Amino acid sequence: MTEMFAHLALGFGVALTLKNVALCFVGCLVGTLIGVLPGVGPVATIAMLLPITFGLDPVGALIMLAGIYYGAQYGGSTTAILVNIPGEATAVVTTLDGHQMAKQGRAGVALGTAAIGSFVAGCVATVIIAALGAPLTRLALLFGPAEYFSLMVMGLCFAVVLARGSILKAFCMIMLGLLLSTVGTDLETGQERMTFGFPPLSDGIDFAVLAMGVFGFAEVLRNLENPEARDVVKAKIGRLLPDWNDIKQSIAPCLRGTFIGGTLGILPGNGAVLGPFASYTLEKKIAKDPSRFGKGAIEGVAGPESANNAGAQTAFIPLLTLGIPPNAVMALMVGAMTIHGIIPGPQVMTKNPDLFWGMIASMWIGNLMLLIINLPLVGVWVKLLQVPYRLMFPAILIFCSIGIYSVNNQPVDVAFTALFGLFGYLLIKLGFEPAPMLLGFVLGKLMEEKLRQALIISRGSFMTFIERPISAGLLLVAVAILVVALLPSMSKKRDEVFTE
Amino acid sequence: MSLNKIEAAQGWRVRSTQDLAAGLFMIALAGLALFLSSDLSTGTLRQIGPGMLPKAFAWICAGLGALLAFNSLRYNGERLAGWSWRGVIFVLGAAVVFGLTIRGFDVGPLKVPQLGMLVSGPLVVIVSGLAATDVRLKELVIFAAAMTIGCALLFKYALGLPIPLAPWLLGI
Repeated sequence: MTEMFAHLALGFGVALTLKNVALCFVGCLVGTLIGVLPGVGPVATIAMLLPITFGLDPVGALIMLAGIYYGAQYGGSTTAILVNIPGEATAVVTTLDGHQMAKQGRAGVALGTAAIGSFVAGCVATVIIAALGAPLTRLALLFGPAEYFSLMVMGLCFAVVLARGSILKAFCMIMLGLLLSTVGTDLETGQERMTFGFPPLSDGIDFAVLAMGVFGFAEVLRNLENPEARDVVKAKIGRLLPDWNDIKQSIAPCLRGTFIGGTLGILPGNGAVLGPFASYTLEKKIAKDPSRFGKGAIEGVAGPESANNAGAQTAFIPLLTLGIPPNAVMALMVGAMTIHGIIPGPQVMTKNPDLFWGMIASMWIGNLMLLIINLPLVGVWVKLLQVPYRLMFPAILIFCSIGIYSVNNQPVDVAFTALFGLFGYLLIKLGFEPAPMLLGFVLGKLMEEKLRQALIISRGSFMTFIERPISAGLLLVAVAILVVALLPSMSKKRDEVFTE
Repeated sequence: MSLNKIEAAQGWRVRSTQDLAAGLFMIALAGLALFLSSDLSTGTLRQIGPGMLPKAFAWICAGLGALLAFNSLRYNGERLAGWSWRGVIFVLGAAVVFGLTIRGFDVGPLKVPQLGMLVSGPLVVIVSGLAATDVRLKELVIFAAAMTIGCALLFKYALGLPIPLAPWLLGI
């Protein structure tokens, strides 16, 4: 306990310098600014804003990125409530009751509840991360290559099960991501693999290029195709602060949502995406009058929003302690950390304690910022939402282009991104959801490395993955969830959860 | 969705052109990967060669693709929707134009001088803007100018990124 508080104190010492608070503020602000745009989810937002952190020191850059992440998350909720367009999967639930509230002239209360619920969830999640950070890191140090490999297999199985749409197609995407990750120079022999003999490919496919092509450009193409019916709420926003009655109604859902979201978020393999759905279902189940849900019930905003934010934050745990990103956003964070010369994993906490704890403390500050920034700025976001898409996407494009160019100062990267944009568009047309591919791509290199190490240690015997108890346990979980998800009765339920 | 819809198979016909195309796409990609990695040594389990994982992943991709294509004959699913070439050409074309002009390029006989962001910026905005079906040219040109100035101030001056503005005119 005292250790935890000492760590948090160190963290706040780092995060509360004027410069870092300012960076956190700017991150939250621009994150929300871009995240509010309809059709731009957190992945695209972070990919787009990655270059603005290049000039900073690693601590500042990560604090700013975390700010951008929370901003993007909250921006997504704002769009969900005001325009009924979810920026990403986790905001879908918010559209159900949030947009109804907005239609009834209670948009302000919905936004306020979302912000306050997120803040409460954020406070709790920060403490959870601080409490679990040190023990999990010690656990991670016990992990050998075999355990790491099995853990990643488990994470990918979770990602397959939790992806939207067909399980088979999600599986395809994971494998495609793994396949793409093998492009480039082989680490051990130095041989070039599948590069077409093209020099820019010998370092492998750049993560930013892939992410921005598939999530930035392809998303623009998808949006251009469906002429949007953007129904920005015409009713007045109303007061922002929930009154006593609203608070009484939303406090329990908010705490339950925090617990659910926080727990699911720790799972490797995008557990966070389940949080809002689970919270919404629970609130509907235990409500005295379930028929109010879908018609503007405040519990339907408070619960899922808290779950969303708690999950968004605890998703950092597998990344920071084990070095394994659980979802596409965290995969981007890995990319960002590597650019700054930090390799995520258990050694971050021991080697760069100021960075580790500074970032955790800045999570709490970021949540506070969101509350402070968003409540007075709602009017600005509403104005922004009225910008027509014909102007919005050229702006996205120039940002992306400058951003990609700045990653390596390579013009050819921009052309590559366009190519991956085409690739992403093709995937969308074929009914694939590209998010699992990104995760497979990021985990691929690490998986290959760990697999090779494990097999060298075991002298070429695959039994090592089953003989070692932790590794066997992880693989067992992986098999179990795949089997359960493929059972006909479960797969039906899964469809229901994702269509609701 | 096909895998989750349990519907009795009655005869063989294409029930989902989208899934069939997706399956064939996976097989084609796997084939390409197998071709490209054919000269890489596979190695043994004790000493994995550079070719083992790419080949293994490619075979799994091909298998999944075959399963997907097979399922498209058994289960009903979505149909393949048409492409919008307008978006592809203008949006992706705009990005390529940016890449070509920002620092100049030599491809064979084609020589593009280094034009810098003050030219590439408006080009991206205007070319991509043409993809919208409700494009208004005058508005777009003004917007392009404003965005370029904003981006120049933000990226070049506020963030200090080394991006050329207009070397042929300003020397920076």
